[in-house]
Amino acid sequence: MSLEIRGLRKSYDGRTVLDGFDLDVRPGEFVALLGPNGSGKSTALRCAVGLERPDAGEITSAPAAMVFQGIHLVRRRTALDNVCTGALGRLPLRRSFFFPNTLRSEAMECLDRVGLADRAAERCARLSGGQQQRVAIARALCQRAEVILADEPVSALDPAAAAQVVELLRQLASDGLAVVAVLHQPELAHCYAHRIVALHNGKAASPEVTR
Amino acid sequence: MTLAPPRRRAPSKLAIAIALVVVTAHVLAWRATDISPSTLVSGWRGMADFLASSLPPDLSVLGAGLDAAVVTLYMGLLGTTLSIPSALALALLSSRATTPGSVTAQAARSVLSFLRSVPDVVFALIFVTAVGLGPFAGVLALVCHNTGVMGKLWAESMDESDRGPRDALRVAGASRAQVAVNAVLPTVLPSLAGLLLYRLDVNVRSSLVLGLVGAGGIGFLINQSIKLFRFDEMVTHILVVLVLVVAVDQLSSFVRRRLGV
Repeated sequence: MSLEIRGLRKSYDGRTVLDGFDLDVRPGEFVALLGPNGSGKSTALRCAVGLERPDAGEITSAPAAMVFQGIHLVRRRTALDNVCTGALGRLPLRRSFFFPNTLRSEAMECLDRVGLADRAAERCARLSGGQQQRVAIARALCQRAEVILADEPVSALDPAAAAQVVELLRQLASDGLAVVAVLHQPELAHCYAHRIVALHNGKAASPEVTR
Repeated sequence: MTLAPPRRRAPSKLAIAIALVVVTAHVLAWRATDISPSTLVSGWRGMADFLASSLPPDLSVLGAGLDAAVVTLYMGLLGTTLSIPSALALALLSSRATTPGSVTAQAARSVLSFLRSVPDVVFALIFVTAVGLGPFAGVLALVCHNTGVMGKLWAESMDESDRGPRDALRVAGASRAQVAVNAVLPTVLPSLAGLLLYRLDVNVRSSLVLGLVGAGGIGFLINQSIKLFRFDEMVTHILVVLVLVVAVDQLSSFVRRRLGV
């Protein structure tokens, strides 16, 4: 398994968000998480990458990267620089000011995988929302993650751009990565995901839909 | 049937208390500062005499005034730019977005508060005793005070920077220092540059005042003119100051507009 979540619990101010959530994701699998607002989908992903501390439960994960709803790129920097920042975890501080050429080449390959090699020198502020989200996915690839957790990656995008991004996530899963995406569009989930997990009251509602 | 609008809410007790405090403070301030419009009206002759003795301006000192104004400008410039490293270091240490720890942040904030609370004129008086009269003391004074003010403004700007890119880089395994360099600073750079230009504008005006306490520049000439009762020379110097301040203000505003801050 690339990602195993067992009995995850999390409360905020006495309100239970996750109440024993379980999830297994294999390499090469694209899992879509569906559920109403507040059902704990995003919290589960944030716990999995360490942005939130769970109250209880176990998480075992291969190296994971996160793609955010708000995209979270540094808009003033170029697409290439933003992708390079995905590798900061394995760079010493002294090499974090001007990225080495080997890393820039690797970042170009990541941009190529998301179809944006020709926009590498463009500032992110000048890219469309869909392109920005693809740069954020390239940043996750540059992190050399084996698991990509995407928290509502297409909520702010128009339908065409949203389909393009979800198709890209599916492609990455086909390349061997484990992908979990929180989606609010059941039609996209049914069209692209290998498996759909619906959350209800902080738990995975059964039965799961497998395609 | 017409819908009745909700009743207006009566002012809260807190709002009434705040209003009372503000009014009381103004009454006390009026008394403590001896404000008296009648004294101002009855003393108009003194002002008229002063203005009469200062006009027309003595333009023979214009060359010396311009030279001194350039020194004032240089003092403001160096006082601003030489404080960049110290202000940046203290801002990075004190901002919630970049600090390595709460103890460090508190220590850095304390240093900034101290530097900010000591007026630049007081720093100038201290440095004059060390390096003598002249612009060097003024530059040192501006560097100290400006570090405090600019460091605080920059730290606030970093505090308000978008949290998203910071979270994204933390998830990627970046250290706090790497997050500061790669997410916080690139995001807030235009804002920092805008604040720097604003401080340059303020520091050029401050360096004028520092001249009055012996730190050189055109402020020093204004002080000398007053002591020698050469108010016509003083007016010439003040006109030069006016041109200098307006020019720096316009330049700073222009560049800030171009930066979009």
